[in-house]
Amino acid sequence: MSRILIVDDSRTSRKILRSILEDAGHEVIGEAMDGQDGVNKFKELRPDLVTLDITMPVMDGLEALRCIREVDGGAKVIMVTAAGQQNKMIDAIKLGASEFVTKPFEPDEIIKMVNKLVKVVE
Amino acid sequence: MINQLFGNFLVKTGALTRDQLERAFETQKKVRVKLGLIAVTEKLMTLEQSEEVNKLQSVMDKRFGDIAVEKGYLTDDQVGRLLGLQGNQYLTFAQAVTDNGFMTLKEFENAFNEYQKALAFTATDMESLKSGDSDRIVPLFLPDDVEELQKEHILIAVRTLLRLIDSDAYIGRASWVSSINTKGVAFQCLVGDQNSDSKVALGFIGEDNALLSVADTFAKEEFEKVDLDSLDAVAEFINCINGMFATKVSSKTFLDMLPPIYREGSVTVTGGRMLKLPIYVDGNELQLLSTYDGMINI
Repeated sequence: MSRILIVDDSRTSRKILRSILEDAGHEVIGEAMDGQDGVNKFKELRPDLVTLDITMPVMDGLEALRCIREVDGGAKVIMVTAAGQQNKMIDAIKLGASEFVTKPFEPDEIIKMVNKLVKVVE
Repeated sequence: MINQLFGNFLVKTGALTRDQLERAFETQKKVRVKLGLIAVTEKLMTLEQSEEVNKLQSVMDKRFGDIAVEKGYLTDDQVGRLLGLQGNQYLTFAQAVTDNGFMTLKEFENAFNEYQKALAFTATDMESLKSGDSDRIVPLFLPDDVEELQKEHILIAVRTLLRLIDSDAYIGRASWVSSINTKGVAFQCLVGDQNSDSKVALGFIGEDNALLSVADTFAKEEFEKVDLDSLDAVAEFINCINGMFATKVSSKTFLDMLPPIYREGSVTVTGGRMLKLPIYVDGNELQLLSTYDGMINI
């Protein structure tokens, strides 16, 4: 089981992700609604893993990823985005993103990815 | 989609009652279309020839296709093609309506001809309708001056809606509008990068609680009303559509997806030249809004 922070401006996405993660036995220790909120909660909660939406108001996912990696260079971050945003995915890889998932969510894909990263953490 | 489109026409013209249509839809789920009906609707055999083969079948231990070939009504190749049409939505609907005794095949075909006249469709258009393929059907309901990319955007939206929200959804005639007053809207704009000045947008509006038919299914939640939570679900659905569209066009241009926008309550939606496509989901009328070379604003 891992302690996970969900950062997504969409309530629907946060709810679906939370449900998928909790059903697989992980603990969602916090939710954030934009990048800035996500960075603050990362500092406060120090989760094992972060799911980070790319397209968000106030501070987008790429900027939030940069800030999180500054706080913890080994932070495990799964980027979340709709399909068709390859340029941003490449930018996120350069910034140190661990993995990607695209919407709509495929529960099996997400759990497989999380478990793989958690194993690395453990 | 053709069963919904034509079925509603049959109710509107009094050929079927609403109850009969619902029963036909139920029957359609279990139906396997008889080869004779396909041969007649494909105009490869006359109704009389089909009935003759049916009668022979009752006294011969042979399949319809084998007898029709023996009688010289069909070739082996034609039988093969007709067998490939057995899952076709138009044909399964025809079978369901006639099996229930609501209409004869002749009446059904006549009504389909009336439907063609009412919509001013060509014979080619009708073939597209009968194909049951949404990619061939949707363009028939769009204005002629829709750009190819905008058409592709709308096709992806309808395909995604049929796949994720309601496989029985169907559409009405699209029209150009510049502004609409509505209650509740969710939309998302996509803009090109420094190498492109592309601007496109896609959104949904709907009267009363119509948008909940998308929100409930997509979020797997029962919302009570169109509020910011349910509109967020609609916006996420739009986000998925736009992601697929951005992928589709990525070899030509990169489209940056801006955060989806949604508003509850009375709102005026403007978009320069906006295409408004009625979509019927679970008995509710939604409007899909699409712009090309322009944004949606509120």
